[in-house]
Amino acid sequence: MDTILKIENVSKTYTGHKALDNVSMEIGRGTIYGLLGPNGAGKSTLIRIINRITLPDCGKVMLNGHEITTEDIMKIGYLPEERGLYKKMRVGEQAVFFARLKGLDRTTARKRLMDWFERLSITDWWDKKIEDLSKGMAQKVQFICTVIHQPELLIFDEPFSGFDPINADLLKREILRLRDNGATVIFSTHNMESVEEICDSMTLINKSRNILSGSVEEIRRKAGANIFQIVFSDMTRPLAEITGNKAECIGESESIIGGFTQQKIHIASDDDVHDVIAAVNDNCRLRSFQEIVPTMNDIFIRAVNDQL
Amino acid sequence: MSRIGIIISREFKERVQKKSFIIMTILTPVLMIALGAAPTLMMLHSTGDAKQIVVVDDTEGAFVGRALKSGSLVSFQLLENMTRQEAIVAYSDEDKAFGILWVGRDFVRHPDNVKLITNTSSSVMIEEEISGQLSDILKVARLHEYNIDNIEQILADADVKVSLATMKNDGSGDDGNMEQMSSDIATMISLVFGMMLYMFIIIYGQQVLASVIEEKQSRVLDVMVTSCTPFEMMMGKILGIAAVAAVQVAIWCVLISFASQFLIPMIPMEEMENPAFASTISTTFGDIFYILKLFAMLLLYIIGGFLLYASLFAAAGSAVDVNQDAQQFNTIIMLPIILGLIVMMSVFNDPNSPMALWFSIIPFTSPIVMMARIPFDIPFWQIAVSLTTLYASFILSTWIAARIYRIGIFMHGKKPSWKDLGSWLRTK
Repeated sequence: MDTILKIENVSKTYTGHKALDNVSMEIGRGTIYGLLGPNGAGKSTLIRIINRITLPDCGKVMLNGHEITTEDIMKIGYLPEERGLYKKMRVGEQAVFFARLKGLDRTTARKRLMDWFERLSITDWWDKKIEDLSKGMAQKVQFICTVIHQPELLIFDEPFSGFDPINADLLKREILRLRDNGATVIFSTHNMESVEEICDSMTLINKSRNILSGSVEEIRRKAGANIFQIVFSDMTRPLAEITGNKAECIGESESIIGGFTQQKIHIASDDDVHDVIAAVNDNCRLRSFQEIVPTMNDIFIRAVNDQL
Repeated sequence: MSRIGIIISREFKERVQKKSFIIMTILTPVLMIALGAAPTLMMLHSTGDAKQIVVVDDTEGAFVGRALKSGSLVSFQLLENMTRQEAIVAYSDEDKAFGILWVGRDFVRHPDNVKLITNTSSSVMIEEEISGQLSDILKVARLHEYNIDNIEQILADADVKVSLATMKNDGSGDDGNMEQMSSDIATMISLVFGMMLYMFIIIYGQQVLASVIEEKQSRVLDVMVTSCTPFEMMMGKILGIAAVAAVQVAIWCVLISFASQFLIPMIPMEEMENPAFASTISTTFGDIFYILKLFAMLLLYIIGGFLLYASLFAAAGSAVDVNQDAQQFNTIIMLPIILGLIVMMSVFNDPNSPMALWFSIIPFTSPIVMMARIPFDIPFWQIAVSLTTLYASFILSTWIAARIYRIGIFMHGKKPSWKDLGSWLRTK
């Protein structure tokens, strides 16, 4: 994997409270990386350490193979959770201000801003004052200010908070588009659905520690661990007997519409999945056989409760 | 443009584009003049109608009562055939008279034998008016006892006002061409400029404080943090506001220079009461180089003084979340400014006293005190030392403030203690 950002054994203690405990992770270039965890887990501290707002007690943050510097930080696009804009300034003027701070000249800034304003359908707002916008509207402006200088690394802290579903969806599409254009996106959230939808990889932080890391697909599959749901009728013998103890039932079976029965089963080994399907098919009228991949929400709750 | 330049430009534009800036820049000189003239105008107009005072005069021929002159403040009415007791009873009502003035029979020999009995509370102005008139009458009465001929004429001749022309000795030996100066005018300029410094430091310093707190509250700082360093943020703000102050001073300089060139020559000096004073006003305010020199100094001290205090105000603002929490730090920062103002008031008595000298060199009070001394034409080396110390202290205070600011802006919640600020200062 081509790593853009590497966090090596980072720890941080505030007076009497360990905010991060030996956290490591690697973020691949051109991916969307989810930083998950319950409130107070240490996500914001980690982001502050990446941005050098806070320095770690020990450990390193490496960007493109070297320790991250203040100048690197100036190139990052960072959307903090607590976000604000100058209330009295006009939208366009303010966006140009932030773009210029990021090194764009006025003409380029205006041109790119106009493109973004069109894309997010907010061209009418150029001359409005921020104080006249709703929270969601201001968030859109803020999002543009964060990405306007086309940074290679973007950090979004809870980017969807305050958005209605339509605008959240619009933003998701834009984040995916940024990724497809080569940007790496780290985003911190406790909204599991958004992780499922857009993240390529993720780290779950709980109680200051990294408790789960990897690609989203892999984590879900591992957490799923060969749990299937079968729908059938007219089964002649018990499942364990049919499958030669290769599968066991989880919980009680349920009767569903059409005279069918629904049952969750666990198959101990990957190699046995095919045999189990064949055995079940031979001994009943099999309607469906489907792997159950747990939602990120399930994984999150189970991981946090030490059940994984 | 550098990042700091972009921030300066934003801060500057935000302020000068406000209508209030334009209005205040034009109105402030007018307000200051009005403020200066207000006490006199209030004295003149606050008294209302003349107070009616009835006079019971027991002197021979009631000459005191006859000599008292009614004016805009007090109007006298002599009661010819009434004793003091009768008058007190007859005029015991405020509607009938403000009071009763009784003058004793032997007033010329015993000047304390006089009483003002009022029906309502008296005022210093009325008492001064009456005692002033009585003193004059007494003086004339006593001189008459010497039986000198033509005494009225002699008194009129003796009543002169000296119009002293003060020159600054330039060693040329030609006092006709020496620079004319006046302590009155110097005091006036000194007061105006000293007050200006005080107001600038406080008004613009408070703007820095409020603006940092607002940025912290609105979380703009959190957004800015990956766009520029905390030091750039702080200096950008301070220098941006300093530029606004500089523009304001420059506008005033232009307005006053214009007035000096076109309005001062229009004043009919020869018709004024004190020709020497009028002529000094004309030479002082008509001298464009003198005005430019004063404004150059004003600019240097306003910028220096502002920069010194602004960084401290910025540090105080960064440490707190709301305005109320800033009060404690604000008070401490304001103390030396107020001390400067108090010392300034003593400068007029002796601009070269050791106290005036030292406080005009110590950086925290120097802008106000030195600006008040400059109109008294003090040695240049003192100004040079004072400015050098001021600008050196600004570098030091900015360094200290920046160390607090870089941590303060990210701290939310509890108001930090002095100990916390100390630990931020030491944090690497």
